[in-house]
Amino acid sequence: MNIVVCVKQVPDTATERKLRSDDKTLDRDAVDGVVNELDEYAVEEALKLKEAHGGEVTVLTMGPGKATETIRKALAMGADKAVHLIDDALHGSDALGTSYAMAQALKKIGFDLVILGSESTDARTGVLPAMLAERLGTPQLTLANKVEVDGSSIKIQRITDYGFDRVEASLPAVVSVVEKINEPRYPSFKGIMAAKKKPVETLGVADAEIDAAQVGLDSSWSQVVDFAPAPPRAAGTIVKDEGDGGAKAAEFLASKKFI
Amino acid sequence: MLWVAIIGLVMTVVAVAVAGRRALFLFKLATVGPPAPERIQYAKDNAGAEIKTQLVEVLGQKKLLKWTPSGVAHFFVMWAFFILLTVYIEAYGAIIQGAITGRPNFHIPLIGQWPVLGFLQDFIAVACLLGLVAFAVIRLRESPAKLGRGSRFSGSHLGGAWLVLFMIFNIIWTLFLARGAAAANGNLPYSSGAFVSIPLGQVLPASGLLEEIALLLHIGFMLVFLIIVVNSKHLHIFTAPLNVLFSRRPDGMGAVPEMRVDGKPVDFEDEDLDPERLGRGKIGDTTWKGFLDFYSCTECGRCQSQCPAWNTDKPLSPKMLILDQRDHAFAVAPYLMAAANGGNGHEDTDVLALLNKPLVGEEGVIHPDVLWSCTNCGACVEQCPVDIEHIDHIIDMRRYQVMVESSFPSEAGVMVKNLENKGNPWGMSEMKRADWIAELDFEVELVEEKMPEDAEYLFWVGCAGALEDRAKKTTKAVAELLHIAGVKFAVLGPMEACTGDPARRLGMEYLFNMLAQQNIETLNEAGVKKIVATCPHCFNTLANEYPQLGGMFEVVHHTQLLAKLVDEGKLTPITPIEEKITYHDPCFLGRHNKVYSQPRDIMSKVPGVQTQEMHRHKDRGFCCGAGGARMWMEERIGKRINTERVDEALTTDPDTVSTACPFCMVMLGDAINEKKNSGEAKESLEVVDVAQLLIKSVKTPV
Repeated sequence: MNIVVCVKQVPDTATERKLRSDDKTLDRDAVDGVVNELDEYAVEEALKLKEAHGGEVTVLTMGPGKATETIRKALAMGADKAVHLIDDALHGSDALGTSYAMAQALKKIGFDLVILGSESTDARTGVLPAMLAERLGTPQLTLANKVEVDGSSIKIQRITDYGFDRVEASLPAVVSVVEKINEPRYPSFKGIMAAKKKPVETLGVADAEIDAAQVGLDSSWSQVVDFAPAPPRAAGTIVKDEGDGGAKAAEFLASKKFI
Repeated sequence: MLWVAIIGLVMTVVAVAVAGRRALFLFKLATVGPPAPERIQYAKDNAGAEIKTQLVEVLGQKKLLKWTPSGVAHFFVMWAFFILLTVYIEAYGAIIQGAITGRPNFHIPLIGQWPVLGFLQDFIAVACLLGLVAFAVIRLRESPAKLGRGSRFSGSHLGGAWLVLFMIFNIIWTLFLARGAAAANGNLPYSSGAFVSIPLGQVLPASGLLEEIALLLHIGFMLVFLIIVVNSKHLHIFTAPLNVLFSRRPDGMGAVPEMRVDGKPVDFEDEDLDPERLGRGKIGDTTWKGFLDFYSCTECGRCQSQCPAWNTDKPLSPKMLILDQRDHAFAVAPYLMAAANGGNGHEDTDVLALLNKPLVGEEGVIHPDVLWSCTNCGACVEQCPVDIEHIDHIIDMRRYQVMVESSFPSEAGVMVKNLENKGNPWGMSEMKRADWIAELDFEVELVEEKMPEDAEYLFWVGCAGALEDRAKKTTKAVAELLHIAGVKFAVLGPMEACTGDPARRLGMEYLFNMLAQQNIETLNEAGVKKIVATCPHCFNTLANEYPQLGGMFEVVHHTQLLAKLVDEGKLTPITPIEEKITYHDPCFLGRHNKVYSQPRDIMSKVPGVQTQEMHRHKDRGFCCGAGGARMWMEERIGKRINTERVDEALTTDPDTVSTACPFCMVMLGDAINEKKNSGEAKESLEVVDVAQLLIKSVKTPV
């Protein structure tokens, strides 16, 4: 089975994230990049499926040069090879542009199954899995906490507010996973050594037959108009109870229109 | 008589041949694994110190005498082996002389008739006998049948131990029979001094046959004993001195040894490095020093009796860790040796399954729960009378599990990821590392590329000291004390990263290397010479492990520096603290680095403080449970180690528990909070660092 895992390098959630003042996109140079956590679960699930059914796991990422760190990490975990979609023309693409570019790359690579995390910790749109499936014309099975492949069909358990749905589809398909699905392995040193020698193919916009007019900041349907840092948290109001504490608290809540 | 000599010599030749064959086997088995050239090199380079260690530890029995009754008993039994060599010279001399002249009245030339020697021989034989009685009493009183898991002999081969005692007893009674008979026949070389043998001669009949039979029995028992020794745990009488010779000095604590493949330190940049060969994954990966550990263990169980994991009902016993490996090594010995010779001849056995049996695994020699229970506290290493290096075994097995198998408690994976991404185990932003400075009302200098000209020390704050709330109090106290004492220092702030200790203790040598090299580069570029650290784990790593990677700094722990400042009068505790305080020894400060007195000195200078030692303190201090990267793992089996320690602290009815390690503070603090919730500890009970006590006393109350 030919599995492609889409991974994304995101700024470390523990650091202070900034937008660039010039084009209002994420300042990737100012922060440490890490693998989007949910994508690690996607890689793990792909590796598990490969271990059970055989085949090959390919990592696909779209991002600047720095994103190779993320590719190496996924390869160290055990993926076989990687494709890095890298082109300045892709900078600033929104979800629509990204999904189009990724879909083009996926068509070029070929796949039986695409697995990805259900959202990224930076943009958090959570729409990419659905958009990809739509663009690829395959079934979408999202928010999986359990995946089973049987021949040419795939079954997942899709978590919902009320429990879970069982969803079944035929391959090829796109699956997005949640963190409950597994426990991502930590790369062994053996894996880290081996990752250095695994093939990484780079694709530009032209290589992947991407129409440059449909991607990038200028072609994005959504635009960041303005941004401002979150204001520092204001000191709260302390009500001292001098017998009238209840009344004062009620007054405060009323003034904020809570009661 | 000729027949006596013939029987005696034939017995000897046969027994020596059998024992010699076994010795050759043991040597070949021990050397099937990778070499350990660093051990030989160290012994060569430090010959003087090694001789001294042999005198003090082997002949002087320093470590055994830590336990008085069994230590004294062992001292005499061991010295009996040396002194009674002279009796065996006399015995062999007697049977040979008897064959030649017909009368077995041999004596050792020159000193052989000296009454002092006669006395010494009788004395040590009697002392040995008393030693045997003591051993028997100890074995009966501390029998596993009675004490179960609480017995230090639990898990040991008991039958073998009794057999050894019985054989030594046989040697001693035949000694007196032979010497008594010799005295009766006028053949004893001593006319006075031999205070047991001579009177015995007066009651025994003057019979030549009795003397000859006794001599043969005395020699015979010794020869049987020799064969038993080389085939049992009693092998230690030959291997222990060697193990002491090749063990790490001053002991198997402090630094974790460099990781080696085929005797060469591993270079992670090396493209040809075989990633399958990191650490120890099967018994054949054990160096001869590891085998010496196996051969030297006498199953005495002192390690087990001190182990925090064993004492809180976890499956790890340091003794069984060694024994299980040893038993497995003997079980696969023929195949191991055949494989080393490239031969076969074992077609009927699934040799590969045996040889490749994982050293660690659910179905392996060592269960993963055993491996991951170790806190690296060193209590076992400290106690082991034959210098077995348990921690080194644990670390090497962890290295294989982590780096080759990627198999370790998943909780620790979070810590490893945080170290990789953020340089601290909590995954907090490095920018937060200097936040504590803003909470002080004086300036603290930050290193900007170079150490400030006037700064004497680099204050290594550590991740806990910079980021963890309780430890931050210690950091601020130390900074303020140094400020008051006029000691100039600077901190690295965001440039500091974890020393790599938790990664290394987990077995993640690769990550340790990355962090350590990065820190050494930062420190060298800043021109740092002297470092003061508050965390004993940082302290140990900086002082003892960074030299392995070329990082040479003069490192002190804050308690050492503060004790010195108090001594020099630069800090004067004046405000009384009227409290009963018990001090908990952090393992990495105490046992690993022998800093026991300075924290106590500081407390003794604070007026009003009443100190009360816990039962287990100083070199027998009981771990808090956080060492060996256990801080970042769940403790699911048995009683929690920190609860056990706090239970002990509570027996001293303290107002305050003091310590000198941020991890001990967290562990003890958590356990105390639980005790408060259940009403077993008073609400006012607190855990503080000794630096916090000192600052409180140095400042006048406002």
